Amino acid sequence: MSHIHIDVQNVSFGYEKGKEILKDISFHGGENDAIGLVGANGVGKSTLLKLLVGLNTEYTGSIRVEEIPVEKDMLPQIREKIGYVFQDSDSQLFMSTAYQDIAFAPRNYGFPEEEVERRVQHALEMTGITHLKDKQIFKMSGGEKKLVSIATILSMTPDIILMDEPSIALDPRNRRNLIHILNSFDHLKIIASHDLDMILETCNRTILMADGKIICDGPTKEILTDKILLEENGLELPMCMQHPVIR
Amino acid sequence: MSKIGNAIHEIHHMDLIAERDQWVNAIHPLIKFVITIVYIAVVVSFYKYDILGLAGMVLYPLAGFILADLSFKDSLKRLRIVLPLVCFIGIFNPFFDRIPVEILGIRMNAGVISMITLMMKGVFTVLASYLLIATTTIEKLCYAFRLLHVPKILVTQILLTYRYITVLLEEVNRVTQAYALRAPKQKGVHFKVWGSLTGQLLLRSMDRAGVVYESMLLRGYKGSFDYIGSKAKVRPQDIVYLLFWIAIFALCRKVPILVVVGNMVGGLFV
Ligand SMILES: Nc1ncnc2c1ncn2[C@@H]1O[C@H](COP(=O)(O)OP(=O)(O)O)[C@@H](O)[C@H]1O
Ligand SMILES: [Mg+2]
Repeated sequence: MSHIHIDVQNVSFGYEKGKEILKDISFHGGENDAIGLVGANGVGKSTLLKLLVGLNTEYTGSIRVEEIPVEKDMLPQIREKIGYVFQDSDSQLFMSTAYQDIAFAPRNYGFPEEEVERRVQHALEMTGITHLKDKQIFKMSGGEKKLVSIATILSMTPDIILMDEPSIALDPRNRRNLIHILNSFDHLKIIASHDLDMILETCNRTILMADGKIICDGPTKEILTDKILLEENGLELPMCMQHPVIR
Repeated sequence: MSKIGNAIHEIHHMDLIAERDQWVNAIHPLIKFVITIVYIAVVVSFYKYDILGLAGMVLYPLAGFILADLSFKDSLKRLRIVLPLVCFIGIFNPFFDRIPVEILGIRMNAGVISMITLMMKGVFTVLASYLLIATTTIEKLCYAFRLLHVPKILVTQILLTYRYITVLLEEVNRVTQAYALRAPKQKGVHFKVWGSLTGQLLLRSMDRAGVVYESMLLRGYKGSFDYIGSKAKVRPQDIVYLLFWIAIFALCRKVPILVVVGNMVGGLFV
């Protein structure tokens, strides 16, 4: 299964002409990589993730997902391989119950109803929310919605999972649960976040971005413990590394 | 809860009851749709003074509400805006149509009869439509439309509109709540900020609708919804259900069924 990989070379992108948000980004993600994409607000983490799933295709350079170039015509194939979890669960979930929402993708890919059901069940088990199967989404808490969002992409059995700020708006217990679940996946993962403690616990590799560029790319343990590097780029040491100040 | 919060809740609630695991909910959506259309057509076709014949048509919504285990009280509450409206339609008939007629031995103004008939027609139509919506999810209904060869694009439009109504309402709710919290003494929204508020609302809901759409795209949405839900086949019991109601409607159309039943029951006692 070593075919799972993602390849980004010299990618630049801007929403408006002449205003580049991403500047000459290059990296390679292989099977079993868990990459933390970190950087201050507005450096372009979300933008980069959206490029990887083809939500914007007007970039220059090359993005390849398992050798398939991310271009308009290839999007259906690409999107079968990549699952993208939005920052805002409320926008990601649009059906009435968890089951309906998780079944949305497999149904779109034309699986027979028994297979759809099997996949939904599996996704629910992987995220530990079988009890939420028939619960209405609008009655769920933030943590529950986040897990359902993750289940909606697992039902597509993607090779690669992208997540945008997954731990934001979660209370400590839900956050811990999320970390636990993320660690149980052996997909290629890319997680954009400024929750460095979470990255520390879930990712073996970290890409640090600032001002639309990749500043460094290496083992999480090295990058997230480098106080000077982090502070130069608008971040701080993970909480667990700071000396606690209790007032 | 605020009015908008209520509206959102209502929509979710309708989704919930339409998804219940009930016998009527399981009937093929196409069958239910056809029955509803036939029912409405028959109701409308009654002559404007044929109040006794029309009264028999109450059987369908009555039976439907019982079979589907819908609360009559809740339903009336939910329809409280529509029902008075349909009742108003015939309100002036008594003034224009003053020919006296006799029904069940009671002398009445013909206009009163035609007013009541019109009201009944309106109420029955609304009840039958409500019955359909309350027992059929929007996805299944759209599937029925597709089977009837309604153009794909139109069906998708219906479905997405339905999905986006809540998106829009939620935005409205958020904006007005944020406003109310910072203007605690005002009732409603001051007209000076109507402009910027609606502008904000439009931008925000477009934004959110955009994200919802992206989320659909990422999960393999290819521009049509007709595969949604199990592609249920019409079962024999669905056909029986259809034929049963068509027969009842035909009977009601021919004879004033309530009067007949009334006479029979009365006959037993006399
Ligand atoms: N749809 C958009 N149109 C124009 N500019 C945008 C859009 N989305 C994001 N941006 C801009 O792109 C930059 C990077 O945003 P984003 O990728 O969301 O950052 P991050 O996720 O790292 O916080 C920001 O300056 C933001 O204002
Ligand atoms: Mg972001």
